[in-house]
Amino acid sequence: MSWEFSNIANRHLTRGISEVYTTHNAIMPNVEMPIGALVLLILRVLRSGTLHGYAIAQRIHCLSSEVLKVEEGALYPALQKLLVQGWATAEWGVSETNRKVRFYRLTPAGRKQLESQLADYERVHGAIQSVLRTA
Amino acid sequence: MKNLNRRLHYLLNRRRFDEELTNDMEFHREMATREGRQNFGNALRLREQARDEWGWVWIDSFLQDIRYAARMLRGSPGFTLTAVGMLALGIGINVAAFGFFNLMVLRPLPVRDPATLVQFQRESPGNFADNFAYPEVAFFAEHSKTLSAVLVEGSGRLTIGQEEKPVGVGFFSANFFNELGGVPMLGRLLSPAVDEAAGAAPVAVLGYGTWRSRFGADPFIVGKTILLNQKPTTIVGVLASNFSGLGLEPPAISVPIVQKPYFEASQDLRAFSEKGINVRMWGRVRSGLTPRIAEQELASLAAQLRLEHPKDIWEKETLPSRPGGYATTVRAEMYPVLALAGALGTLILVAACVTLGGLLLARGVAREREFSIRSAVGAGRGRLIRQLLTESLLLALLGLLAGLMAGYVGLRGLIVWADLPAWLNPMPDGRVILFAVGTGIASVILFGLTPAWHVARQRYRTTTMRQILIGGQVATSCVLLIVSGLFVRALHQATAASPGFEYERVIALEPGLEGASAKEARAFFDALWSRLGNVPGIVSISMASNPPLGNRWSVVKTRVGGKAVNIHFNNVDADFFETMGIPLRKGRGLARGDKREIVVSESLARAEWPGENPIGKQFSDSKDIVVGVVGNARLVSPEDSDAVEAYRLVQEDLLPSMVVLIRTAGPAEGLVASVASVSKSIDRLRFPEIQLLRSSFNQKVAQARYAALIVSVLGAVALLLACLGIVGVVAYAVSQRTKEIGIRMALGARPAQVLWVVLRQFGNPIVIGLLVGVGGAAALSQILRQGLYGLSNFDPAAYTGAVVAFGVAAGLAALLPARRALLVDPMLALRYE
Repeated sequence: MSWEFSNIANRHLTRGISEVYTTHNAIMPNVEMPIGALVLLILRVLRSGTLHGYAIAQRIHCLSSEVLKVEEGALYPALQKLLVQGWATAEWGVSETNRKVRFYRLTPAGRKQLESQLADYERVHGAIQSVLRTA
Repeated sequence: MKNLNRRLHYLLNRRRFDEELTNDMEFHREMATREGRQNFGNALRLREQARDEWGWVWIDSFLQDIRYAARMLRGSPGFTLTAVGMLALGIGINVAAFGFFNLMVLRPLPVRDPATLVQFQRESPGNFADNFAYPEVAFFAEHSKTLSAVLVEGSGRLTIGQEEKPVGVGFFSANFFNELGGVPMLGRLLSPAVDEAAGAAPVAVLGYGTWRSRFGADPFIVGKTILLNQKPTTIVGVLASNFSGLGLEPPAISVPIVQKPYFEASQDLRAFSEKGINVRMWGRVRSGLTPRIAEQELASLAAQLRLEHPKDIWEKETLPSRPGGYATTVRAEMYPVLALAGALGTLILVAACVTLGGLLLARGVAREREFSIRSAVGAGRGRLIRQLLTESLLLALLGLLAGLMAGYVGLRGLIVWADLPAWLNPMPDGRVILFAVGTGIASVILFGLTPAWHVARQRYRTTTMRQILIGGQVATSCVLLIVSGLFVRALHQATAASPGFEYERVIALEPGLEGASAKEARAFFDALWSRLGNVPGIVSISMASNPPLGNRWSVVKTRVGGKAVNIHFNNVDADFFETMGIPLRKGRGLARGDKREIVVSESLARAEWPGENPIGKQFSDSKDIVVGVVGNARLVSPEDSDAVEAYRLVQEDLLPSMVVLIRTAGPAEGLVASVASVSKSIDRLRFPEIQLLRSSFNQKVAQARYAALIVSVLGAVALLLACLGIVGVVAYAVSQRTKEIGIRMALGARPAQVLWVVLRQFGNPIVIGLLVGVGGAAALSQILRQGLYGLSNFDPAAYTGAVVAFGVAAGLAALLPARRALLVDPMLALRYE
């Protein structure tokens, strides 16, 4: 199973991400992001603990050394997908600015999904790497 | 599954989740603003995108489509009314027909637990009977362990009080009513403990209708004594009007079967044959058991009974069962009638849908601009098709509701008009609604799909589709018209032509000699003959086993030279032909002492021995010798033009079942009373039934007229539908070619040429449609002939009549809108667009 086919359902999420890149072309390095990667990244970020939406975007931005920037237009559809698929739940909490906001928490199903997506990713990544190294 | 649940959860709580999402995104913006970002997208659009993930977008766009479609339909009320009317007609006729079928065949009777009821028959190799001798059923009732109850119904006729004419009486096992959950309206119903006890008093339960019509709805009737066949009987109760019994209608009066010998002295409860009582038998299968097990048990009980009554129980007798809780069961001979009803209904529906499809297609032109604008602002082809289909769906839904209502009204009307019992409920049940929805879906596919496809592809200028529509319309309406023409012609011929015998001045007397021996019957007839001979005004007396226009017949179906022939056999006495005014054509009539000699009708002679002299010929494989030929006389069914007749001299053993025919010199009415009193004076215990042949004939003709009327109405509806469709499609063709017509007129085209341009394209489809229609009608009439007599295979008058009528109507329908083409102002037409 290849990466692309495993994530057909996520394909249109990349539209949001690529839009981000085109609008910020001037200040952002043009990096190709694999299809469906956003869901994978969110799942991974949530594994470390519950976060609200903005923090998720911030976290990805920081951890990618400010290469990846996640806009609302991509983030919130992805989060709704997580909720509907049952990979995450949302609960009310209070933000650092003292405002009521929803925090997202990974469910066991989400954890499983993350593992399988990671495994898939590693396989494809390894395959690409070996082609790049040896060809 | 869990996933779906979550989605549904989101759908049901969408307001709350939407607020939460909004809150999340507002917070996101607040934080982003803090960090100095300014450029945001459209918040609403972003939120909608996020919401799409819940997977319910289609509901929103569907609701949008519905709202839009409703607005469109409201915007053109004329079109909407026409369309809904057509659909209501097409669906309503089918719903009414199916509703009737449902009531008669599919829906269980309104009795207690109809599913466990079965009706039994007798069968053995070579033998078959619906009726049982009472002692056999009584034996089963006593010994069966698989049946929790055995229900018995016998029928008969008894007079009430001093009235001349007997009424139908049901003789029931006393458990019959309780077992079926019947309730009394007054008093009580029959009860096994009381009414089947030794020495029980004779009692009767009145049917609701009888109580109303004959006893003036007397509220104190219970306990009163009436005379049934001159025997005092106590009325113990009145049945509620909604009790159906196990047939279409409960009898006028119900009496315990054990009392039958009390009313009719000739009958014996313990006898198997001759004096025995014929009954029908139902059983209630014990819960957990199948009818199959009951059948096996009864078969072994029958074998046991056969040891004592070897003559009366058949060898290897089995008792096959069939579901008993229904008004009627479908038998093989009903298939052609059902096929006819189905075919006609389908044709009407197709005609309605094809017409509507044409109208929708024509409307596409008016909406051309709308659709180009919509696709210009980004509506995809799929979205356009969906929009059009939604409109069609809405139309179909309205048509469905109207059709259900029309079907209900139609069925109700039928029940009232045909005087069917009151417990028949015309209200559509689940099955009828399901059927109606199915018809609705079929109609959407028929009328909605192709126009939607064409409009959405913006290819509606192609003429092929339109031509197919016209052709289909012509074909379906043509079939309906021809078939109705065939019906009307057949009935007209049957009723207008003389039936071949005298019916104006003949009285039929059924002496009621059931159970009598041949000797007793001979004595009765001799006495009757001598006494009637003294009555002035009587010209001739004779007898026949199958009285003219009666409800008894014996038919042999054969094929002679590839043509279906129904030979009606009749046992008559020597004076029959004279009494009935049937002319002798060749040879001699029947004479005393004839045994193997038969007389045949002209048409039978012609069919069997074309061009030969039939006298002295042997009749088919039998040893019967033809001695004479008489004129055709369709005695039993005047509408059956295939019927031919053969007559035999009555032999002594058949005498008890003979019917007496009395020809009078003047009007027959005047002699009915004296004939009745003469018959009664011979044997006071017999209850003769007297009928004027003229009124029976009028009844038969009236039935035939009603059938013809119904079919003609269907034909007229088809013609109307076709005309509406043609008007729509031609008007469409004219509006589409306005510009071209303008140019032609500007260049000097004459009116006839303009009309030719508009109408030319419909020539081929109409001709092809007519040909297909004629072929279809020929095929359909072949099927119909097997069940409905009197339809001729090829009746040129019906065919040409239908084609001409259709041609004239279609021509007018085409010319009306086509005239508009002549009114086109060339200048306006050229400036347009």
